[in-house]
Amino acid sequence: MRFHVWSVLKSSAAIAAAVILLASAPQAASSQNAEPEKQSGPAPVHDLWGMWTGPNEGLLSNRVPTMTPAGRAKLDANIPDPFSASSNDPWKTCDPFGMPRGVNNQYGLFGFAQMPGRIIIVNGFNRTWREVWMDGRKLPQNIGHEGGPSAMYNGYSVGHWEGNNTLVVETVGMDERTWMDRRGYPHSVDAKVIERYTRSDFDHLSMTETVDDPAYYTQNPFLFAKQDYRFVRNQTDLNAPIPFTSDRLCIPSQAMDYMKAIGLPADIDSATGQKK
Amino acid sequence: MTTRLTLGIVLVAVFALGSTAYAHHGSASYSQQPTTLKDVTVTQVNWGNPHTLLFFDHKDEKGTVQHWVAEANAASTLSTSGWTKNAIKYGDKVTVVFYAAKNGQTVGRVGKVVLADGREFGDGSLIGDRPSVCDDEFTTGGNEAAACRPGGRITNNDQKR
Repeated sequence: MRFHVWSVLKSSAAIAAAVILLASAPQAASSQNAEPEKQSGPAPVHDLWGMWTGPNEGLLSNRVPTMTPAGRAKLDANIPDPFSASSNDPWKTCDPFGMPRGVNNQYGLFGFAQMPGRIIIVNGFNRTWREVWMDGRKLPQNIGHEGGPSAMYNGYSVGHWEGNNTLVVETVGMDERTWMDRRGYPHSVDAKVIERYTRSDFDHLSMTETVDDPAYYTQNPFLFAKQDYRFVRNQTDLNAPIPFTSDRLCIPSQAMDYMKAIGLPADIDSATGQKK
Repeated sequence: MTTRLTLGIVLVAVFALGSTAYAHHGSASYSQQPTTLKDVTVTQVNWGNPHTLLFFDHKDEKGTVQHWVAEANAASTLSTSGWTKNAIKYGDKVTVVFYAAKNGQTVGRVGKVVLADGREFGDGSLIGDRPSVCDDEFTTGGNEAAACRPGGRITNNDQKR
């Protein structure tokens, strides 16, 4: 089966409408449901629709397997900390997180828009979205290699349901320029990432992120990140950021201003004029 | 002009090469002891990301004006504390509690800002580097997590050597 990348564009209006609906959902709910529900109900079947919130940062595994020489060389070249002048974190210049980083870094407010044949995952940070095909199509082969399709920042994703309440998303073809997380772990273009979203009841969702990348890691697959989230019922949720009333955007000009005003002077030893 | 041009060249180099001769600062660059400056004059507020910047002038006991800039949290995070884009404006006289850079530069990190009418913004604490617990199965994903990479945290070229 051919992979219809460009069909995304054809249905962009539908996606935009879904995003607008998601964006307005918390506000609409707030007037109808001012008090947080005390007890969560059962999880609906094959239904993650709506916005979810939790910590901005995923829990990152300290059990990352030993890396291959090629992987270790890539790791050593990646210098973390987007607030540092010396870092080469793509975040510092507002480059896309892409996958697999996009779901473990600044992932504190995201949502699902379900529609026939696909699920759109929207992210409050930078107001981005990605599509997960649910229509049974196969993932393309040989991505990023001669004769194959190009790798993309978010890769190519297909999904399916396991049981009533777990969405499994498989992603391949991720651009090698993306880091796996803010620590700087790299991935090859042949990496495969599995996200599992399990809705245990109406209000609670857990996510795990598993990576399979033999080119860079010696034991595969391995659990890389996880986090728990809550359904956004309204804006009075004290644990939630303010849904859709704040700009959670990475803006290149502001990032450059920050580095000029803070990043560079904070790094210079005024007594010697030398770097610390 | 020359200074601005030079700085511009340095910035271009930073962004073009990704890593340069400058070391990591993070919150580790700031003193853990707060500094309080009263009756300073706000000269500019860059409301945004990754961190909001508060520019202010302080006149010392000799009458010399110092130009300071202190970083607060991201605009989206500050919004949850009541600090909005227009809450602090050019010309406001405020008290700033902040953590100054250890290197003597007039930069720092905002703890809190107290307006003339008594309103306070910020949580008063230094959000600094926290030790990572690398023995645990998982670590919270801040910059501190990089300490658990193979070989430890590498944040600048000096440490790589």
